[in-house]
Amino acid sequence: MSIFSTLEISGSALAAERQRAEVVAANMANAETTHTAAGGPYRRKEVVFSSSGNMPFRMMLANFRTLGFHPIPAVRVARIVDDPTPNVMRYEPDHPDANKEGYVSYPAINPIQEMVDLMSAVRTYQLNASAVNASKQMIQQALDILK
Amino acid sequence: MSNTITPGLGGFGTLPTSPTEVGGSGKSSGGFGATLRTAINQVNDLSQDSQEQVTGLLQGDRQDLHNVMIAVEKADIAFQLMMQVRNKIVNAYEEVSKMQF
Amino acid sequence: MNDISNPIVQMLEKFLTLASQRHTLITSNIANLDTPGYRTRDFDFRGELRRAISTEDPVMTPIARAIPGLMERPDGNNVSMDRESLLMAETQLQFNIGVQLIRNQFQQIMTAITEGSKG
Repeated sequence: MSIFSTLEISGSALAAERQRAEVVAANMANAETTHTAAGGPYRRKEVVFSSSGNMPFRMMLANFRTLGFHPIPAVRVARIVDDPTPNVMRYEPDHPDANKEGYVSYPAINPIQEMVDLMSAVRTYQLNASAVNASKQMIQQALDILK
Repeated sequence: MSNTITPGLGGFGTLPTSPTEVGGSGKSSGGFGATLRTAINQVNDLSQDSQEQVTGLLQGDRQDLHNVMIAVEKADIAFQLMMQVRNKIVNAYEEVSKMQF
Repeated sequence: MNDISNPIVQMLEKFLTLASQRHTLITSNIANLDTPGYRTRDFDFRGELRRAISTEDPVMTPIARAIPGLMERPDGNNVSMDRESLLMAETQLQFNIGVQLIRNQFQQIMTAITEGSKG
C-alpha cells in the first residue's frame, strides 16, 4: 500500500462502474437482437460486483498494524452473468427467425430498467470521482506542511 | 522527563545558569557545551527518524504522508535551533575574548 | 524521546492520522456502493481521538465498526451515498484544518528560534 492507496480504491470503483455502464449499453443496443453468432437471441447481461482485498498477505499484515482494521476492500466486477429471465416471445410469423409456431424470441430487456441502471452507474462513478479529488487535495495539503 | 521545547518557555529542561562556564568543556553540569551537545543529539535523533520515515514512504511501507512531512519539519527545526545555539556560543566567546584587562 | 514539539503538535499529529484513516474508510465505503452485501464501516472520531491522546502509543489503531441504523437495499448493501459524501467533505475539511494548525505551530517555533538571534 502506498500513499496513493485511497486513489487505488476509488480507481477500482471507477473501473467497475465503467464496466457496468458498458454492459448496460450493450444490453440497450441489443434489445432487439433475435439472432447472434452463438445462435439464439441475445441474452441480457448483468454485472456482479465483489469486494476484494487484492493485496499480498504481507501488506495486509502491515496495514493491520498501522491502520488497526482489516485490509481495505477494493471493488471489482467478479463476473458478468446472463440474466436467467426467459425470453419474450412475440408472434411474428413472417420474421426469418420465427419458430414453427410463428413466434420470435426476443431478449427480455426493458429499456427503462436499463436507463435506471445506467443513471445509477453514472452517479456512483461521479461520487467516486469526487473521492479521487478529495484524496488528491489531502495529499497536496499534507505536502504544504513543509511550506 | 522528555526534552521538549516550547516557544517562550525555554527548552532543554535546564538551561545553563552560570555565565562563568562559557566555552566550558561540558564536564561541569550545565554550560553552553552541554546545551550544544543536547541540541546536536536532538538533531541526530530527529534527522534519523526523518530519514527512516521518508524511506518508508518512498518504498511504500507507509501511507501517511502527513506524518512524514511533520518528521521532516521537526528535523529542520531542530537543525535551526542547533545552528542558533552554536552561533550564540561563538558570539559569546568572541565577546569575552575581546575584553581587555 | 527527543522531540521538538509541544502537546498541541502531538495532538495534531494524532488528529491528522485519524482523519486520514477515516478518509480511507469512507473512500472504501463509497467504492463499494454497489457491492452486494457490503456494510458501511466507520469509527467514532472523537472517541478515538480522546483515546489516542491519553495513550502514549504512537501506533494508532482505531476500531472500525459496522454502523447501525442504516437503510438496507435488497442486495444487502447499506451504504448511503448522502451520508458518505457528507462525511467525506467533513473529513477533508478536518484534515485541512489540522494541516493549517500544525503549520502554524511549526512557524511559531521556528520564529521563536530565529528571532531570538537578534539581540
